[in-house]
Amino acid sequence: MQPPFDDLRGFLTALDTAKQLLRIDRPVALEPDLGAAGRAVANQDGKTAPALLFENIDGFDDARIALNVHGSWANHALMLGMPPTSTVKEQFFELEQRWQKFPVPVDRRSDAPWQEITLSQDINLFELLPVFRLNPGDAGPYIDKAAVITRDSADPNNFGKQNVGLYRMQVKGPDHLGLQSGPPHDFGIHIHAAEGMHEGLPVAIAIGNDPILTLAASTPLEYDQSEYEMAGAWRGGVPYPVVTAPYTGLDVPWGSEIVLEGEVLYQAREYEGPFGEFTGSYSGGRALPVVKVHRVHRRRNPIFEHLYLGQPWTEIDYLLALNTSVPLYRQLKQEFPEVEAVNAMYTHGLLNIISTRVRHGGFARVVAMRLLTTPHGIGYSKIVIVVDDTVDPFNLEQVMWAMTANVNPEFDAITIPRMYEIPLDPTGNPQGITTRLIIDATTPKPPDVRGEFGIPVTAYPETADWERLLKEMTR
Amino acid sequence: MICPRCRCTEATTVAHSPVAGVWEMYSCPTCWYAWRSTEPATATDPDLYHPQFRINADDIAAAPRIV
Repeated sequence: MQPPFDDLRGFLTALDTAKQLLRIDRPVALEPDLGAAGRAVANQDGKTAPALLFENIDGFDDARIALNVHGSWANHALMLGMPPTSTVKEQFFELEQRWQKFPVPVDRRSDAPWQEITLSQDINLFELLPVFRLNPGDAGPYIDKAAVITRDSADPNNFGKQNVGLYRMQVKGPDHLGLQSGPPHDFGIHIHAAEGMHEGLPVAIAIGNDPILTLAASTPLEYDQSEYEMAGAWRGGVPYPVVTAPYTGLDVPWGSEIVLEGEVLYQAREYEGPFGEFTGSYSGGRALPVVKVHRVHRRRNPIFEHLYLGQPWTEIDYLLALNTSVPLYRQLKQEFPEVEAVNAMYTHGLLNIISTRVRHGGFARVVAMRLLTTPHGIGYSKIVIVVDDTVDPFNLEQVMWAMTANVNPEFDAITIPRMYEIPLDPTGNPQGITTRLIIDATTPKPPDVRGEFGIPVTAYPETADWERLLKEMTR
Repeated sequence: MICPRCRCTEATTVAHSPVAGVWEMYSCPTCWYAWRSTEPATATDPDLYHPQFRINADDIAAAPRIV
């Protein structure tokens, strides 16, 4: 199976070939085995941890569960068709380079494997899907790695405004889900648009997808940019295959394992949560929108894909790492060509590290301020560290060196109080409001003259030759 | 049936395992806690449920609306 992959099964085959998939055929209990295994694989080496495929689920005779599909740098590289040993920085620039192909129009197909079985009555998600409680304090089973597809009711024919996003969904009843979204998320905009027209919001939920679609669905794109057209770009320009879902008319992935169709109920809000979140702590209970499921489409022996969440790092940190970093880099680069790279891999970008050449004294903090005003930065960039261009922002040893060698807290730690942020950050005071911190770890330049910074030690140019030689010798 | 989390008495059986007799699933229509018969007692028994995750009607009424 060669990339790009049209479905999850194709990618799992590729992971298997690369010895990055563990098939688990012993019987497993939905609780606590699945959550425990999800945590255990996240505790392994993040460079090489495998995906897990459970094939013998207690109480089911036709279900499989995949965990940790994106959960290591090796798997992330294989998703992109790169060698599994590719560095984080190499994968960052590969994604950045492929982004330049955006938008790639979709490949519209008339039928899909998930049309094999359709249910329109007596829907019971607890019996149809092997959903499970992920962490002990969760309110119930969740669907947490599905692509949620909705349109803007005020502009329904605008393909770019059709959103494909990952939102957590609590399975509350047989055909009844709770769905979390914040107001700035595209889903939040869509539900407000629908309610403004006094109607519910049609929704499709695609479970078990090829890895690039999941990557695009969790990327902070602009509101009218299509995740499907970005998936095409990240597939190296190969159009992304979609099929029209019969009940809602929404465009859904051709390759999904399971597709739910239904409606976000007009004006309905219900208690939802808590749920162990990507921040490493449980979210509180909230009053959130409600989905009623009217159709279930699925393949035979479908694979239910899930994502473990808990104290970082877990799978979500690999999934949200470079697809968060690259758009921030591109937005900064537009106005500051000096920017070399952006690392927004920590807790979905609550902390960011920018590497930049420095035009003049005070420049680094201006670049950091711009990051705070990007669409993603408005909600997430609580802490921004800026380092010189000679520091690799993906190399934390180098970043820590820059912090120790360049930062005088009197001048270089800048705080901005009472800023908006996502309410999931447990430090918010009140929830949704925080102080932002910029740490300028670049070397001061005139006219910001201070300290006694010596001449940096630079290596012989031949070092690069020796790096190549040593790499070959250690293969 | 008593909800282990909020102690509402209206929780019901909502699902049976597709392979008969392995587990049942229950759901509470007040706090929407859902649990499986085969889970540890800290998830299923109202007397042993995790104290830090218990909620009551006031918690539900005070839950912030996010969107």
